[in-house]
Amino acid sequence: MNNSAIGAAVARKGVFDSRLMGAAGALVLLLAPLAAPNPFFHHLLIMVLFSTLLGVAWNLLGGYAGQVSFGHAAFLGVGAYATMLLHLKLGWSPWLGLAAGGALATLIAVPIGLLCFRLRGPYFSLATLAVAEIVRLVALNWESLTAGPQGLLITQLPELTLFGHAVDWESKLPFYYIAALLALLAMGANHFIAQSRLGAYLLAVREDMDSAEAAGIDTVRTRVVALALSAALVGLAGGFYGLYFRYVDPDAVFSVALSVEMVFIAVVGGIATTGGPIVGAIFLVTISEVFRERFQSGHLIFYGLFMMLIVRYLPEGIWGKLRALLRLAVGR
Amino acid sequence: MALLEVNQLRKDFGGLRAVSDLSFRLEAGQILGLIGPNGAGKTTAFNLMAGFIPATSGEVRLDGENVVGLRPHAIVRRGIARTFQIVKPFRKLTVLENVTLAAFLREPVRARAAAAARSILALLDLAGKADCDASDLTLGQQKRLEIARCLATRPKLLFLDEPMGGLNPTEVEAACELVQKLSDSGITVILVEHHMRAIMKISDRVVVLHHGVKIADDAPADVVRNPAVVKAYLGEGAA
Repeated sequence: MNNSAIGAAVARKGVFDSRLMGAAGALVLLLAPLAAPNPFFHHLLIMVLFSTLLGVAWNLLGGYAGQVSFGHAAFLGVGAYATMLLHLKLGWSPWLGLAAGGALATLIAVPIGLLCFRLRGPYFSLATLAVAEIVRLVALNWESLTAGPQGLLITQLPELTLFGHAVDWESKLPFYYIAALLALLAMGANHFIAQSRLGAYLLAVREDMDSAEAAGIDTVRTRVVALALSAALVGLAGGFYGLYFRYVDPDAVFSVALSVEMVFIAVVGGIATTGGPIVGAIFLVTISEVFRERFQSGHLIFYGLFMMLIVRYLPEGIWGKLRALLRLAVGR
Repeated sequence: MALLEVNQLRKDFGGLRAVSDLSFRLEAGQILGLIGPNGAGKTTAFNLMAGFIPATSGEVRLDGENVVGLRPHAIVRRGIARTFQIVKPFRKLTVLENVTLAAFLREPVRARAAAAARSILALLDLAGKADCDASDLTLGQQKRLEIARCLATRPKLLFLDEPMGGLNPTEVEAACELVQKLSDSGITVILVEHHMRAIMKISDRVVVLHHGVKIADDAPADVVRNPAVVKAYLGEGAA
């Protein structure tokens, strides 16, 4: 097939044919660690995927449903602590604990949602910030359970044999593939939801709450469902965080900075898009690492500057803009 | 049994009684005009009946079942749809998406919901605008879009809040025909409207509110001759 035929086929099928994009993405993720076999590069890839997972999760609630949460660290922390504690205190397999972390984050999201969704707009955002601080303070002070500011440490992960080989937990690669799987799962779920009735309802809730009710949409239930799904993904991410770093403390996983980071990833990439968070994550992780190396904590200045430029000149996000340009180019 | 039965419906805003013990009945298939001077409580009455604001007391029975206390989406599910006086389309979504959203209420599969939405758009002469953003429509088109969104929820009873406000005479004429057409298709309509000629022409019955109190409930021809109504509109001495 020559180039123009491919072009025509792409235009006919749509550049954004989801199965094609998904398969290509999965292939890239499978091969990416081979690009440079050094642990720092692998660590960066893991952080990109971890951030993608957070961005996708936040985007479901903040981007699609327009409910801007500044408190998502609460769910990350709950997921991380649940995974660690179930392993340390009850001897659960960390992988079961990871799932339990997601489930527990979902469970606490429901009452938080029912409480905070009585408020609209900025008042909702402030309520999420307050709830997250409460959860952080509980984790900090409930020392008999959480060991308080000391944090929790897993010295060794239990052995796991896969296809006859023992998994080497000292290497970054197994964590890379777990992160890749989680990120793919999240993006797949996001894509599926965006096509479904729920996805349409989320947009309706974002656009106009009264009109949404007038169209027969239960706006409270829709928002609670969005929050629960979002929290489930963030809870999984939290469990992953705990296992990857093998250490959590309240300031690491419950911080406001982490909540804000999730907002940034989604906004820089593109609000309410499936691909946005991964693009946002690549940019933000790269910027943060490059400038951290040169300027130590001064890197935050550049991080902030970058954010301002994006919000001012690219409010639709990098992926959002790119996608619009591509669609224009193929005349769709 | 009447399709809609409103009994002693009341709304107090602090010391102000916006709707005072309103009662009326509406048979299926009728067009009811709800009129009154500015501030008479017409839109408040709509908001009460559609569940957008809680009633102080009274009941609204649809097919004999009281819907007071239900949230708006639950009332829509039972068959009452309403438009807004100030149009509220989902501005950043396309016309088709606007209507598909509402069609999802009765049809959870996207392809079928979209198909239902397309046929409703055709009925309202909006088929050519299906892929436009809702914010790009003219006011007249946006008002039709709101009606389309209502129809997609398959209502028994449709509340139209000033569907002709801000339209030019040709558009008013078309809007009258549309309301008649909806009525012919079996939907019962309550219409709040300031456009007197239009409302007198298409209503089967007219209810007049003044300071939240019902002062007339009659055929259009009798309402215009009712001294209380003339007084409410034009003041003492006009009658």
